This record gives sequence, C-alpha cells and structure tokens, in this order.
Amino acid sequence: MLPLIGLAIGALVAVLLQPTVPQDLSRYVAMAVVAALDATLGGVRSSLERTFNDRIFVISFLSNALVAIALVWLGDQLSVDLVTAVVVVLGIRIFQNVAAIRRRLVGG
Amino acid sequence: MQRPPSLVLAGACAVLGFLLVTAASSAGDARREAQPRKTELIDLIQRRRSLVAEQDEALQLLRGEVADAQRQVARRGRLDRADADAAATLAMQAGTVAVKGKGLTVTLKDSARKPNTEEDAGAFRIHDSDLQLVVNALFAAGAEAVAVNDSRLVATTAIRAAGDTIVVNFRPLSPPYRVSAIGTDRKAFEGSQIARRFDRWTKLFGLGFSVQQRELTVPAYAGRVAITSAQPS
Repeated sequence: MLPLIGLAIGALVAVLLQPTVPQDLSRYVAMAVVAALDATLGGVRSSLERTFNDRIFVISFLSNALVAIALVWLGDQLSVDLVTAVVVVLGIRIFQNVAAIRRRLVGG
Repeated sequence: MQRPPSLVLAGACAVLGFLLVTAASSAGDARREAQPRKTELIDLIQRRRSLVAEQDEALQLLRGEVADAQRQVARRGRLDRADADAAATLAMQAGTVAVKGKGLTVTLKDSARKPNTEEDAGAFRIHDSDLQLVVNALFAAGAEAVAVNDSRLVATTAIRAAGDTIVVNFRPLSPPYRVSAIGTDRKAFEGSQIARRFDRWTKLFGLGFSVQQRELTVPAYAGRVAITSAQPS
C-alpha cells in the first residue's frame, strides 16, 4: 500500500510544481524514468521474494539511473544511438521483473 | 537488521511518479512547441506568396503605363516614333508584354493510376525534364511566345525541380501543366520525338497529354528583367 501512496504523492508533487525540463534534457529525463521504473519493479519483486535489502535497492536505483543517463550522454557525444541499447536492456529487465511479480502474485 | 521494505520502496515510487509526470509533461511541451512553429512557417510562406502576387500585378500595371507613355511620346515626332517602335519590338521579344495569336496549348497531367512499386512511381508523374522537352519541341516547331501555367518563358527562365515540385521562373507550379505556345506548327510538334513518346506513355502509364490548337493569349513575364553582368560584345 505504501508504495502506491508514494507514487501518488510523487505524481501530485510534480503536478503541483509543474517542473519544466529544457528540451535538450527531456531525453535524459525519459531515460531516468525507464531506469527508475526498472529499479522499482526490481524492488517490488525482491520484496515479494523476501530478499529485499534497502541498501542494495537504493544503490541499484541510483546507479541504474546514472548509468542510463551516462550512456545516453556518451551516445550523444559519439553520435551513436545508445538510447536504443538502454531502452532494450531495461525493457527486457522490466518484462522479466513484471513476469516474476506476476508469478508471485497469481502463480503460473 | 532489515527494516520493512515498504518505506524505501514508497520513496522510490515517489521519485518514479515525479519523474513520470515530469517526463510526460515535458514531452507534451516539446510537441506543442513544434506545432505552432510549423503553422507559423506555412502562414509566412502564404503571406509572402500573396505579397509577390500583388507586386506582380503592380508591375504589370506599371509596365502598361510605361508602354502608354511611350506611345504618347511616339505621336510627337518621327524619331521618337522609331524609338518607340524599337522599344515595342524589344519588349515583345523580351517577353515583357502580353501577346496573342494562334497557337497550341499542350496539357500535361500526372497519371491517376497507382504505381505497382515505389520505384515505378517516377514513371507515373510529370517531371521537370518532360516539361523541358515539350517546351523545346514547341520552340523547335516555331513557337514565338511560350508560357507554362501562365508563367512566361524569357531568356533567363529555368525549368527545374525542387523536390516533387516543378519550378518555373522561381515560382512553384501545381499540376496540370499547361504549356501555351503562339506560332507553333501543330504537325511539326506532333511529329516531334517527345510528342510521340508521350502518346506511348499515355497508353502505358496513363499520363495526361493533350494538344489543342486555338487563338490564345500568352501573358507578360511577371518577374524582374535584370541583366547586369552580360554586356554586348
């Protein structure tokens, strides 16, 4: 329950503050969202599997986002589309995490 | 040692929610920003086009006034009359006055058929080179004054393509393309290579190609006649 409330609070804060992101940086924010989504789902999964460790979770949450942003930045510098690489890898992990959560909750 | 996971997770979820909304709203901003710029550009182009059209009209009026003034001067003396005649002949040859006479109107149209493949698409459209060949054939068949979609061809005219659009006298044309030519011999034009080819392409690809003989008016050149570098040698 608490995570859902947290999600709602975060969204509410964003709606109230109306943060503006410069257009150049909006890709990085999008990347951070995907990375954060992956880390959060990983956290939900491990807490369901009762292997949750908050230190590991926080570190993975931050490092995921930072690595993703760094990769996108590097790709921009080299004019290589590393965004695709990050999205593919994180996308696969998101699916795996969701599948694991689903198996925990409903089985199968 | 282990605290309940919910609190940390909730914090992470809060960050996630914040980022999600931020990213979504900023993506929307970017789209909204791009939209008005596009319509602004379209507006700008249309305004400039109508400005050009207005000035073309003004130019035609002024040229008419110049011709009238020259005619008035011509009445005064024989020498002036010779000058005015020379000016009138030059204006006709340069294409800065509208002329009328018997001639041909050749109409070219893109095909209405759908091409089978993407590579074939070119064969179903009228290209700048087609228009060039038709104009050349008309001149070869004796044309004295030629206009494409009412844009008079003069010494500095170029028929070219800008993307998919044919541009004559730096004005984009829209199909169908009507080439009016005064003084063309119909038989000579219909015997030309390009006319015979078009007869075949009409059947093969459905291109529109028709020739009409009639009394017609070819308008004056609307652009600026500016020959500054070339000197009589």
